[in-house]
Amino acid sequence: MHSIRAVAINTIKQALRMKVAVVFTILLLVLLPVLGFTATGDETLKGRLQTFVSYALSLTSFLLCLLTIIVSIYTVTSDIEQRQIYTVITKPIRRYQLMLGKLIGVIVLDVVLLCLFTAIIYTITIYMPKFTKASEQELIEANNVFFTARASLNVPEEDVSRQVANRYNELNTKGELPANVPRDEIIAQLTQQAQLARRAAVVGQPLLWEFKNVKPLSENLFIKFKYDVSVNPPDSQVWGRWFAGDYKFFQYGTQSKTPIYEKLHKHSVRDFHEIEIPAEVVPEDGHLAVAFVNDPQNNREVAIIFPPDGLEVLYKADSFTSNFIRVVLLILFRLIFLACLGTLASSFLSFPVAILFCFVVFFTASFSGFVLESFDFLGENIGAVYSYSLKWVIQLLPQFDKYNPSKFLIPAQLLTWSFLTKCALLMVCIKAFLIFIFSLVIFRYREIARITV
Amino acid sequence: MEYAVETFSLTKIFSDWWGRAKVYAVDNLNLQVRHNEVFGLLGPNGSGKTTTLKMLLGLLHPTKGKSLILGGEGTDPKINARIGFLPEESYLYRYLNARETLDFYGRLFGLPAKVRKMRIEALLDMVGLKAVANRAVGTFSKGMARRIGLAQALINDPDLLILDEPTTGLDPIGTRQIKDLILKLAERGKTILLCSHLLADVEDVCDRIAILYGGKIQTQGRVRELLQQTSKRQITTDAISDTAVEKIKQIVQDENAECEVASPMDKLETFFIRTVATAQQQAQPTSGAVSTTKIGDFLTEQKAVENILDKLVSAPISRRAAAESTATEKVAAAESTRPQADEQLLSKLTRSSEPSESQAVAREKIQTEPVEATTTGQEQVREDILDKLIGESDACRDQDKTEKPQAGDSGDA
Repeated sequence: MHSIRAVAINTIKQALRMKVAVVFTILLLVLLPVLGFTATGDETLKGRLQTFVSYALSLTSFLLCLLTIIVSIYTVTSDIEQRQIYTVITKPIRRYQLMLGKLIGVIVLDVVLLCLFTAIIYTITIYMPKFTKASEQELIEANNVFFTARASLNVPEEDVSRQVANRYNELNTKGELPANVPRDEIIAQLTQQAQLARRAAVVGQPLLWEFKNVKPLSENLFIKFKYDVSVNPPDSQVWGRWFAGDYKFFQYGTQSKTPIYEKLHKHSVRDFHEIEIPAEVVPEDGHLAVAFVNDPQNNREVAIIFPPDGLEVLYKADSFTSNFIRVVLLILFRLIFLACLGTLASSFLSFPVAILFCFVVFFTASFSGFVLESFDFLGENIGAVYSYSLKWVIQLLPQFDKYNPSKFLIPAQLLTWSFLTKCALLMVCIKAFLIFIFSLVIFRYREIARITV
Repeated sequence: MEYAVETFSLTKIFSDWWGRAKVYAVDNLNLQVRHNEVFGLLGPNGSGKTTTLKMLLGLLHPTKGKSLILGGEGTDPKINARIGFLPEESYLYRYLNARETLDFYGRLFGLPAKVRKMRIEALLDMVGLKAVANRAVGTFSKGMARRIGLAQALINDPDLLILDEPTTGLDPIGTRQIKDLILKLAERGKTILLCSHLLADVEDVCDRIAILYGGKIQTQGRVRELLQQTSKRQITTDAISDTAVEKIKQIVQDENAECEVASPMDKLETFFIRTVATAQQQAQPTSGAVSTTKIGDFLTEQKAVENILDKLVSAPISRRAAAESTATEKVAAAESTRPQADEQLLSKLTRSSEPSESQAVAREKIQTEPVEATTTGQEQVREDILDKLIGESDACRDQDKTEKPQAGDSGDA
């Protein structure tokens, strides 16, 4: 234990005194406040806040990732290349203890720097409304959509398989099935049609959605939506009447104890919009209904369609601060993974090769979602080759883009503890741990000394 | 545990990328280093000396064969706790200062803070770097780095010291100091394995040597036996008159032998040391290392049991000589005078005020003395007691040694 500690302390000293960490630290210490003043966004307070947090957090996260990779590789490879390891490894220390010490040193350094920089970002964010002398209305907007952590409830895709099966049989008996088309394809088409029908409303037609366990902490909640239309109206705007309230009232017509929200809105199509609803409409059991009616004011041909991700109910579920802390933890998990990756690379590669290796992995992991999706568009023959080789490898990597910190703070989306735990388990406890064990095995059996005759 | 270091047909083949054998760096090496001896591994560049040491310490894996070091593997932390290693160059963390460097290594041994601090100060004092202890090691000259390297090798009070080219980069005084230190440590019962191609160093300090070439042992044995010219005799006298010289020549000629007469030369080393010592006495300032003749007190002396043994035997022979004479083989009688020679030599060296007498001369004097009678007689008297006691004391020492690292651990906890 004492030797692990000694190595860890030495690693931190090395990172600081060899000025690797210092360069990054100074860079961030200068850039973060500058960003605070220059980030303007769309000139509103909300825009400023979102731009600043987005840039500052991404920058901090990115630079710390680079720093982690560089330090974790440098600390091992420089010991081997400059041969200080000769005198260290011949002391009563096992090789795994040396590697563990180095890893702990890098992680401690990460934790300290991450705390420092995110504290700066947090402070600037909190004090930004005062600096910018925002108007009352801007403050309210910022409090509603930024200084909060909103849980979002989606509408799941409805199960239409039975309906599709019925329809298929019906067509089959009538003999109306198109010839030369395989059954799977017809089923897929029918499913698509059925689901679209559930999300579409012609003029005068209502749509009803059900949300359970809605427990807003603040005095309002938000419906976030996007319209698609069958025929584009002349001004690209449509009318919609929105309702919200006790689900039982809408479904069974029972007396509602809570008020019912009803209002007509006009919104542009193919953009996301939010409408604010007072929280008092939510019944005690949290069983909320949201209804929409395609208002007769619209042109008769206009059918309004909600895309699959086109409707969400958002409400405050936690404070901004605790959400911010969880987001920082998310960054920390990423850094721990990279530290383990750097240790692995340095256990058998020289400094430049190890750096290259880690950067390739880092960037691939950063775009893994995109890369994985792109496989689906490959031709069938090539696609098969990739699905069985590269896709499998990429799935082993952590999906940094899925756990992107800005994704949560910018729309003030709640990062739940369960999501965070899942990320910790997957990224740190499984992937990083396995990588580290692997690096220990390699380091255990390699020859430390360089060959000189 | 008969030997401190033992290798069994140790072989290291460096192969090329395709796995074809390219170089036999070490070839079937069978090396035995006894306890409490100074063993020198000699050879030209690339003869496999350093490769052998690296295999002993587990920095390289042998292609074939194996090695035992203090009776165990070179990678075992328990064994490592009893070894001090100085690599061929002092590879140090450039950003640490001298004191931090030693502190780091001390922590690796789990030495308690108090002990660590005490030892660091003693070592800095000993290698003459106390004045520059707070300077980054990266700014040190090669010789100064070497001194720190030596200090880190001693911080755990090792039983076995492995030194790879210990004197490279050192000034003549530093070289002399390291050699003295090696002798002093040997006197305190440490085993020292050193490799070098500086023959003068090896000749001065080693009990036994092996000469490597092409990874094979070409010859090995006691320095004295290997170097002594038994067909010749040397006589050194004070300055005597020419007539006396003529008389001696006459006597030699009567024996049908040839005789050369000349004044002995000082070694350049001795002369150099004398000059610098004078300068130091005049207290001229220097930013470099300072020469000292101190030795860290923590470096353990021989055990109490062995002192009793000495008293019982009641003869002024050192323990080392006694142990050796009874260990495995009958040793030549000339050997037992060797420690006496060292003591004499050391006492002269440590008194820097009178360095006038060449130690080389001192040694030669002793070498030419008829030695058989002085020691063998003393030994024969008590040989039975000696055997018995040495058996016991060896056991005691072993026990003590195995306990030492554990004591260090518990102290830290």
